[in-house]
This record gives sequence, C-alpha cells and structure tokens, in this order.
Amino acid sequence: MSEFLLLGTRPAPPPEMSPARAARDLATLAAWHRWLRRWGLLRSYAVRPPWLAGPRVCLVVRAAGPAAAARLAAGWGQAGGYQVTVLRLCDAATGEGPHGER
Amino acid sequence: MVSDDAEAALAATFREEWPRLVAAALRIAGDLQTAEDAAQDSFLAALDKWALAGMPERPGAWLMTVCRNRARNAVRDAGRADHKARSLRPLLAGQPSADDGPPGIADDRLRLIAMCCHPLLPTNAQVALTLRMVAGLTTEEIARGFHTPIPTVAQRIARAKRILAQQKVTFTSDDPVVHGRLPAILDVIYLIFNEGYLAAAGSALTRGDLALEGYRLCCLLTQLIPGERSPWALRALVCFQLSRWNTRTGEDGGLLTLDTQDRSRWDRALIADGVHALTQARPGGRGPLLLQAELAACHATAPSSDATDWTVIVALYDELLAIEDSPVVALNRAVAVAMASGPATALPLLDDLASDPALARSHRIWAVRADLHRRLGHTLAALDDYQRALELVRNDVERRYLTDARARLAADS
Repeated sequence: MSEFLLLGTRPAPPPEMSPARAARDLATLAAWHRWLRRWGLLRSYAVRPPWLAGPRVCLVVRAAGPAAAARLAAGWGQAGGYQVTVLRLCDAATGEGPHGER
Repeated sequence: MVSDDAEAALAATFREEWPRLVAAALRIAGDLQTAEDAAQDSFLAALDKWALAGMPERPGAWLMTVCRNRARNAVRDAGRADHKARSLRPLLAGQPSADDGPPGIADDRLRLIAMCCHPLLPTNAQVALTLRMVAGLTTEEIARGFHTPIPTVAQRIARAKRILAQQKVTFTSDDPVVHGRLPAILDVIYLIFNEGYLAAAGSALTRGDLALEGYRLCCLLTQLIPGERSPWALRALVCFQLSRWNTRTGEDGGLLTLDTQDRSRWDRALIADGVHALTQARPGGRGPLLLQAELAACHATAPSSDATDWTVIVALYDELLAIEDSPVVALNRAVAVAMASGPATALPLLDDLASDPALARSHRIWAVRADLHRRLGHTLAALDDYQRALELVRNDVERRYLTDARARLAADS
C-alpha cells in the first residue's frame, strides 16, 4: 500500500444551495469519509480555514497504487463536489516519495 | 449510510440557521446578493469541515462566525474596488455604511422578512424573494413549487434585488413598523402555503415543500412577534389545514372530500397546535384570518363528518362576508348552506354567483353546482355543470375526481 495526498478544491462558484440540499450533501460526504475510515484507508486529513482561498480539504489516503488512488479521488470528488488532485506521498514497498501525479 | 433522521436533523439545523445567516451577512454587507453568497459559503465550509471532523458543539455559532467573516471579506474586497472606482466616479461616495443606525426591529430575521415583502416589490417577487432569502429554497425548487419556468423565477428574484438596490432599500435603512408591513408578510406566507396545500395546476393535488415552508414561516413569525395576534390566526389556519394532509388523497392518488376522509389519521399534534394558536389569536379581534381559522377549527375538531356544526359554519361565513365581500367566500358559504339547510336552499345562491367575473375562470362553482343538482336529482343539469367544471379545472387530481363523478352519474342515469 502507498500513501497518496488528495487535494480537494472547488472549481467554480457553487450553484444555489438550499438547507435541505446542504444537509443531504453533508450526510453523503460524511458517509463516504466513514467508509474510508472503516477500511483503514484514511490516514489523516486537513481542512483549510474557510476564509482562505485555495484547496479546501486534503486527505492522506492509503491505496494499492495510482489507479486505486484515482478511483478513491473520483469517489471523493463526486461525494463532496471537489475537483481532486492526487499526489503520491510515499511508496510503501520502496519507501520512496514523493512523486507528483494527476 | 447516515440515517434519514440524522439527515433530517441536519436539514432542520441548516434551515433554522439560513435566515439568521442571510440577515447577519446583510447587516454587514448591505446587499442581498453578497448576503446570500456568504450564507451559502458558510454551508459549504460546514460541508468541508463537519463531514470530516463532525458537527461542532454549537453549529449555529460556527456557521455564523464563518458567514460574518465571509461578509466582511466581501465588503473589504468591494471597498478596494470602490476605492478605485471612486477616483473615477465620485457618486459612489454616498453609499450607506454597513452599520448605519440602530435596528427598529429587534430580530434580524424579521427584518429580513419585512424587507423581502417590501411594498415596492410585486407580490410574485415578494413570494420568490421570501422563499429564497428566508426559507432558503433554491430558484429551481421555487420554480418547481409554483410550476413556473426557472428563468422566470430567477428573473423575479434578480429584479427584486435590483429594485431594492435602485431604491436604496438596505437592511439598515428599511426600518418599517412591523405592524404596518404585517399584512403583506401574512399575504405572502398564506400564498406560499395555499399553493402548496392546493396546487392550482399540475399532476399532484398538493406540494408538500411549499405548504411546509408556509407552516415554518408562520411558526417563525409567531416566535418573533408573539404579541401580534394575526400571525397566530394564520398559524392556526395553517395547522388545521395541514392536519388533514395525509388524508386528502386515497391510496390511488384520488381526491378524498372532507366527509370521506379517515379522521383518525388527522394529525392530532397539529390540531392541538392550531387550537393553541387560535387561543392566542382571539384577543386580536375577529378579522378575516381569525374567522377563516375558526372555520377550519370547526372541521378539524368535529369528531365526525355528521357531527360538524354547519349552522355555526354558516354564521362564521356570514361574519366573514360582512368584512370581506368576496365571491369565493360567498361560494364557500353556499356550500355550508347546502350542508346546513339542504341543496335546494343553496342552489339559488350559486345562480347569483355564476355570473360573477371573479369566478368565471374557476371550476369550483360548476363543481359545487353539479353536486347540488346531483343531490336534488337534476341529472342533466348536473352532467352539464360537471362538463363545464372539467373544461376549467387545471389540477389533474381534481380533474380525475370530476371525471369519475360525472361518469358515475351518467352510468346511474
């Protein structure tokens, strides 16, 4: 297993959001994070203070390889509405890193 | 998966906070668009943070801090832009500052409602703006609720914001006496509720979201200004009508009239809330809203359809007609007269009303007349009136009801 950094940004000004929609999205995203934790894939996370621009959230996840990390990134992006950039942090087999990837 | 209950609780939190956030941002930023953006951004920030770290101990305070910071940033950014623009256009210097003057209305949410129902705005814009800014519904949700194209609703909201900006109606400058603005506010809430409770057009009889928003707005209003009686009257009316929500259509989606509904399924908590609200409203005098609430209470508290006191209902309609000489009220009174004294007494009342231009496009008078003719055994006249009603009805559930009633009568004859 290798470690990857997933950087989540919000690509465009968000569409209108109603309280019900916000609750639904939050519940979906929280469920997704719980799923990551349950499977031991979420190593750590950071959330940027809301008044700063740039990536909103980053996750350090464990994945078998770049393809698996890309799948996690796609799922996370969909659940949270993020545009996700994937960076390899550390290769468990060789201990090497980091290697930038998309 | 997150349980439906947890999601519902979350939605309730967001719903409750939304008008507070918009109002707080509006107080800082001065314009509706910035306020809306700031409130929405705070929801997104919650999405980022709470989904990972869990909900904070005081979610409302957390959202408020984020929202205020967003609004202040927006003002600061706009200030920078203004500074550049000022060198070119000195006119901008006259804009009011964000913290002008003490508020005349204690609660910012009430101030927000009053601003959305500003007399400068046409009613449909007041409705749309209230639903967006106070209830937090999206343009798409509002459009769906009213069966109106999305661009039309978007245009109404944008135009309303423009009018308020052009007329320099800001959150702090718009300082109405609540009592004076109240009739417009109640009209808007009642319109919202009514559209949800009995959809004028479309495939469903009701639109739950709008009716519930109407109820929530009533509750908010009575909570904000408990000393005003008329919001209590509206709350009572809304409670009694909502209490029948689940019984108005059958399992096949067909319309069930009051006498065929299963009263054991009426929502007792809402009826109790309605009775309490009615008690609060009564000292305010017998205005149209209170009388309508009293009428609804007669139905909601009757143990059975047969036990309904139609004589009292006719008397209440008489009182209402004396205040509000409306053909719709007269039509409802005729229905009550038919129940109290028989269809033969009521039929001449409808003949007078049939020529009223206010009812010319309504199917209801023909549906009622058809029913009275049917009960009197005037089959041909009844069939004819059912046909007229069918030509005018716009709601599919009601159309189905009328079609079935006519077909049954035709088969029996």
